Amino acid sequence: MWKEIGDREAGKIRPNSFSSRIKSNRISNLQLSNHKDIVSPHRGSINSLQVDLTEGRYLLSGASDASAAVYDVQKATNYEGNGLIAKHKCLFSVDKQHEKGHKYAISSAIWYPVDTGLFVTGSYDHCIKVWDTNTTQVVMNFKMPGKVYRTAMSTLATSHMLIAAGTEDVQVRLCDISSGAFAHTLSGHRDGIMTAEWSTSSEWVLITGGCDGAIRFWDIRRAGCFLVLDQSQSQLGRRPPVLGRSAANKVSVSKLTSAGPSSLVKSRAPQKKYANGHGIKQSTIGRMPAKGSARQRVHPGMLSIQDRATAHYGAVTGLKVTEDGMYLLSAGSDSRIKLWDLESGYNTLVNFEMVRLQTSKAIQLAISQDSAHVFVPCMTVVKAFDVWSGKMSLAFRGHYESVNCCWFSSQDQQELYTGGSDRQILVWSPHKSISDDMDEGHTKDQDNWSD
Amino acid sequence: MAMEMEGEEERGKVRALIEKATNSTAAEVDPRLLKAIKSVVRFSDSELRVAAHTLMDLMKRDHSQVRYLTLLIIDELFMRSKLFRTLIVENLDQLLTLSIGFRRNMPLPAPPAVASTLRSKAIEFLEKWNVSFGVHYRQLRLGFDYLKNSLRFQFPNLQENAARIERERTERERRTQEILRNKFETLKTNFGSIKEEMQSTVNEIGECLYIARTKEESVPLGLLDDEDFEEFRSSELRQIRLDSLKEGEKVCENSDNKVVLDALRELYKLLVTKHLVSVQEWISLLIRVEVADNRLRDSMLKELIDIRSRLLSVKKDCDESGCALLKTVKNNQEEEEDFWEEGNIGSTENGSSTEPEKRKEVQSSNKEEKIKSIEDRNSWKSNKQNENLARVSSSSKVKDKAKECSNLSSKGKESLGSETSVRSKLLTEAPVIRWGSFLDNWGSVSNKDMLANQRGLELESHWGRVDYDAVIPAEKIAELNLQAIVYQENLGEIQPCHAPLSKGGLCKRRDLRVCPFHGPIIPRDDEGNPINRTSSIDDTNPDLASDIVEQLAKKAVKNVRARDKEEARKRKLDKQSLWRAKLAKVREHNEAVLRDAALASTSRSAVVGEEIEETIGEKSGGRNKQTLASMQRKKVTTKGRLAHKLLTTRVTDAAIRQITQREDATYREAFPNQWILHCNVSTSLGKLVVPIGNHGW
Repeated sequence: MWKEIGDREAGKIRPNSFSSRIKSNRISNLQLSNHKDIVSPHRGSINSLQVDLTEGRYLLSGASDASAAVYDVQKATNYEGNGLIAKHKCLFSVDKQHEKGHKYAISSAIWYPVDTGLFVTGSYDHCIKVWDTNTTQVVMNFKMPGKVYRTAMSTLATSHMLIAAGTEDVQVRLCDISSGAFAHTLSGHRDGIMTAEWSTSSEWVLITGGCDGAIRFWDIRRAGCFLVLDQSQSQLGRRPPVLGRSAANKVSVSKLTSAGPSSLVKSRAPQKKYANGHGIKQSTIGRMPAKGSARQRVHPGMLSIQDRATAHYGAVTGLKVTEDGMYLLSAGSDSRIKLWDLESGYNTLVNFEMVRLQTSKAIQLAISQDSAHVFVPCMTVVKAFDVWSGKMSLAFRGHYESVNCCWFSSQDQQELYTGGSDRQILVWSPHKSISDDMDEGHTKDQDNWSD
Repeated sequence: MAMEMEGEEERGKVRALIEKATNSTAAEVDPRLLKAIKSVVRFSDSELRVAAHTLMDLMKRDHSQVRYLTLLIIDELFMRSKLFRTLIVENLDQLLTLSIGFRRNMPLPAPPAVASTLRSKAIEFLEKWNVSFGVHYRQLRLGFDYLKNSLRFQFPNLQENAARIERERTERERRTQEILRNKFETLKTNFGSIKEEMQSTVNEIGECLYIARTKEESVPLGLLDDEDFEEFRSSELRQIRLDSLKEGEKVCENSDNKVVLDALRELYKLLVTKHLVSVQEWISLLIRVEVADNRLRDSMLKELIDIRSRLLSVKKDCDESGCALLKTVKNNQEEEEDFWEEGNIGSTENGSSTEPEKRKEVQSSNKEEKIKSIEDRNSWKSNKQNENLARVSSSSKVKDKAKECSNLSSKGKESLGSETSVRSKLLTEAPVIRWGSFLDNWGSVSNKDMLANQRGLELESHWGRVDYDAVIPAEKIAELNLQAIVYQENLGEIQPCHAPLSKGGLCKRRDLRVCPFHGPIIPRDDEGNPINRTSSIDDTNPDLASDIVEQLAKKAVKNVRARDKEEARKRKLDKQSLWRAKLAKVREHNEAVLRDAALASTSRSAVVGEEIEETIGEKSGGRNKQTLASMQRKKVTTKGRLAHKLLTTRVTDAAIRQITQREDATYREAFPNQWILHCNVSTSLGKLVVPIGNHGW
């Protein structure tokens, strides 16, 4: 570590590679944190976890007992065991006692992506509620046609404030916070919608996964879906990473001639975004004609075979788009995890090692910032897989019942939060090598051989 | 390389040790093995890793006993080694699953008794671990929390209980201190007045005594003294004399000093029942109380002790002057005259005991007897025959007397020594016998006739003529008081039959002479072979092949010997052996038939039967050696055997078949014309419907 710092000082290593190296090193050292306890006030399984995107400080959890709570993950409320264990109690929680609270289990709780002033909860009582964080009051209530499985808001959006809601109903609804009404109703799925996720490269693209096993892509400016992922269409391996930019483009072009000109444009968009952070403008500009052409090519006569394609046998229970918006990870009730190339829409055939996934509930995947690791709740264990090889790198054992959700907070401290049916929210943090020795000093966790 | 080899060897060592330690049916790990494991593991981290790994593997065994012993070892190491803790804690959920069995799809394995102890032990250990190391291991806290709050397991709560008990104790102590302090406060305020009161009582007593003494002074008593001393030669008599003189010195009550003595008596009573008691209480209070100001307490204590000693001295004064005894004296004034005579006559026996005391003694001994008799009756009810014995009343009397003697040791020391030795001698000799009414006058030859109607009967309400002077003659009484002993038969243990059974094992029937299944009961060895028998019966155990050679040898020897014996006896023996052979043949035949029947009745074929026999032989051979497998094996119960016979598919099929047949038969009997109807219908429909009752069975 010191050597790396020295190298950085000497200018041998570039800043971003230095930071990414340290981050990946920390990720590989994740383990159950003994120094950070999140005291969960929930009496039911935790269904949803999210750390806010602006400060990376407030953790929002939604649970089956119709309660949602917010914790400060940076500042502990009190300490126990000679200051060894930091207890993070919830800052506030809303539950059934709240006069406008949810009646049934909260399946999804997300922060408003722009700031922490609002958060959104979706529940099995057919309601989506938007809460004011400071007053803990409901500011908006959307009545849905069925149980809400998942709500999502785009992190990139600058021109809309839409909540995408996956419900029991076959239609995806987009709830507009600014107007308080449904903006869109997207039909296409043949069964309830388990998961919904906004693209991280375009603010207009919504990805939904249904109980019918289909993963559909919607451009919310147009009618209908423009892409259905098909598990039988596959490409071997992934495109080379962004570093070899030009070569990659050439390869992809030569390999995917069918994709035509759109692939060029599409693959450029994320690159731009990657290069200069939130390159929304460029990407949207770049994407618009591309999307149009793709849609026009496919949609009018979108072959019924293509329309009926499935991504998983059984329901799609989890979706996660990589940070650069180029790949999609999906988990299904067939206990498979699949990595999709978004540009081509093909299954990359990465073989994720045998896992057993929860089949009845939607699960929430998490992915590290550099898209190297994906964290998947596999029954009682959370497993970290290498995204590109599918090899399991870490297993996090700690929960006593199945884990439903995990969230990786990549901003500051590389911590993983997991919530399970055993009502616990566990924190997995990088092993503290230095402070550990300090701890040993004033405690008595030592060998004790009397004979 | 050599190091590595050594390491391998070592590695094998700890694994072998652990496996050996867990392969046992005992409820504890062999302490020597445990110590060996600990010492091996202590000095090598790699060993410890291997140990942790092995232990976790063993926890997965499908046997609760193995898991239990493994858990005990885990606990030992867990409490000691940090590395071991970190290793175990990583897989804590697995360990808990395997030891507590809280997951429904993974219950604890076979021997249920061991499984339950395993569970309780695991829960206990988890609590202990959590208390001592929970701060350092989040997993421990999590597991504990999950089991406690989610699954609501009952933890023994050892720590908390101890703390609670401690808390309660301190609370109680605090409260008693509070009470004591309050008492102390009141005492402090009242101390002066109390002292005054006592002082005044003491003064009054002193005055009263003074008055009484001065009145007595005028009547001198020393007249007889000189002559009398010569008369009473023996020391005992002299002693009595001295006592009487002392008695004479005491204040005697008469009309003159009656008032004074009454007052004295009152005061004395006050002194004994109130002042002395309260002083005693206060002293104990002062000793126990804890106050800030120790000086005051100490001074008060000192004063109180002084007061007590003064009171005691006054009391002694009173006692010596005799006014304390006056009450009893008053009651027994008539006996006072007899006392001297009695004393003179019975002085050899026991110098100083007065008549009332004697009487009391007798009464008390009677009372004791009564109590004893009640106790005896109770104990007799509970069939404890050994306790059903009473000491002879005389011995108890002796005891009492001895006690008295020791009380009066100042007066008759010479007699005392002999008395105690006599007593102990008597005690050793005293017979221990069952209680009975004859003990009422043990050792005394009563020649007196008894009045029949004087006690025990209510005659007032009797209408007829009552002869109050009816007498039971002495010989009758003696007859009634004869000691009766009930004859008790000495029943020895009835020996079990011990004949070998065909299914292995020995016959456990206990009959006096003849077992209904195996003939007369004869001594047999552990295998069930008769000990003093000819070989013909041994043939009944053909499956015990190993014995045959031995038995043949025996037979040969016996034959040789038998040939040498005289003709008459030989003939007799022959006859006997013939009879036995016949018997044996019959038995053999019976057993064979039974075995065949058993084999036929089970669903297994004859081929399997051989195996069964083998297993039987093995079972009876290694019967008493307990193994892990034997713990897991289910006991073969009657129910199980029956179920095995009755619930096979063949039997159930047959039963169903029978039932349906019967039903069909009744149906056909009830509706004999139905068949035709049926046919009509079926033909009219153009299909052939076979009626239910007509399957080809």
